[in-house]
Amino acid sequence: MISIKNLSKTFNKNIHAVQNVDLEIAEGEVVVIVGPSGSGKSTVLRCINRLEIPTEGSIAIDGVELTDPECDIDTIRAEVGMVFQQFNLFPHLTVMENICLAQRKVRGRSKSEANEMTMKQLLRVGIPDKADSYPRQLSGGQQQRVAIARSLAMEPKIMLFDEPTSALDPEMVKEVLDVMLELASEGMTMAVVTHEMGFAKAAGDRLVFMDEGMVVEIGPPNQVFESPKEQRTKDFFDKILY
Amino acid sequence: MSRHERSDKKSLSDKPKWWDTFPWWGIAIVAILSWMGYQILTKDSYDLAWDRVIPGISITITATLQAFAMALALGLLAGMGQLSKNVISRNLARTYVEFIRGIPILPLIFTVALVLLPQLQNAFGFKLSFQMRATVTLAFIYGAYMAEIFRGGIQSIAIGQVEAGRSLGLSRRQTMNSIVLPQAMRAIIPPLGNDFIAILKDTSLLSVLGVLEVTQRARQFSASTFKFREGYFVLAFIYLILTLGLSLLLGVLERRMTRDDRNVRSGRGID
Repeated sequence: MISIKNLSKTFNKNIHAVQNVDLEIAEGEVVVIVGPSGSGKSTVLRCINRLEIPTEGSIAIDGVELTDPECDIDTIRAEVGMVFQQFNLFPHLTVMENICLAQRKVRGRSKSEANEMTMKQLLRVGIPDKADSYPRQLSGGQQQRVAIARSLAMEPKIMLFDEPTSALDPEMVKEVLDVMLELASEGMTMAVVTHEMGFAKAAGDRLVFMDEGMVVEIGPPNQVFESPKEQRTKDFFDKILY
Repeated sequence: MSRHERSDKKSLSDKPKWWDTFPWWGIAIVAILSWMGYQILTKDSYDLAWDRVIPGISITITATLQAFAMALALGLLAGMGQLSKNVISRNLARTYVEFIRGIPILPLIFTVALVLLPQLQNAFGFKLSFQMRATVTLAFIYGAYMAEIFRGGIQSIAIGQVEAGRSLGLSRRQTMNSIVLPQAMRAIIPPLGNDFIAILKDTSLLSVLGVLEVTQRARQFSASTFKFREGYFVLAFIYLILTLGLSLLLGVLERRMTRDDRNVRSGRGID
């Protein structure tokens, strides 16, 4: 479904954030990307919906080449949901308006269609009673769940998660991970950058370990955790797992 | 015992006393305006000056509103232009802003209203009154100042807001109109209010083109009667009433906006 070939991204001509990354993500697959800070995992994710423009290589979603200047990026982005570390809800709009905005303007849904879809997604993330609240009135965990609902309302083919729990208070991590676990079990195609190894074990089909802009190791999460092939991977997990 | 409590209270309480926060300046201004108004009402020579100057107020107000509206459109255009991806519009906007900001208003009014616009009039065959020429010039000048306000306001919105909008499939324009601009208004409205008042005051420069707004009328009255004190006293009174009234109005608007702002800034309180 997503085919990344020889992807490289260089910032300011000399910072090599991502180097020669190859990655295939199949439909319904949950790929979890882990690695130390600055290893390029977020950059890979952001290239998938072209928030970063690749310096080299190609990314194709359902056969549509993203690096082709002719491609209609807005149409592709509507099919690719993205959840950010900082939630990025629109503070001047209510939860309902946050979720309805792109449905109305991009999907062209009527007000009642959009409202209906919004309530369906809010129910799914467990906060249907917050539809009329403003983002500032919600806890971090609630805000992130609204952000997930906002992406899901577009009925995307794939969901990208960029460290969705890293900005949350510890007691709010679980409510967001639970939503993501349920989404995974429903068969959503997902690419998740995270430090939550528990989530990787529970929901990940494949684990990608990245370091210094390169993919070091790919495999089933349990195998990569327990018997990593590369020394660098082993060092990383030795440091972070208790 | 009671003395002890009282001193405790004093050291713990941050609550300011009423005379500490009372708007004494407002009392002072009302007192000064009342005194000025009293002079004008009771003294014949002041009354005469008032009668000669006050008819100009409609031109002053009209020119202010027209110049402000035009400057607003120009400023938004040039402000967005500076942030444009298009290299031509970006540089056009930048040139306009830098050029205007580098020249004082008075020489600009002479140059634009007496040289540039007449040439354009000849070239394109239209005719503008002196009043309109001067108003257009003011708009042209304040458009450049406002461009910087719009640019700053738009840039103050976190990039994550744009990324969230774009990642949902919204176009650049849709993201700007539905997400960035509504939030930027919070940062834009107070300095725009300042420029509104500044334009009002700078309409006095229309007098150099002989436009019969309040300043020109005060000049004419003073020159023909030699009552300089009365003429300019009345003129100052009229400007004060207008600017103070306007800033009072803008203050209400601003307070409403910052109250909103404080709620946003207070972060994520639990509902």
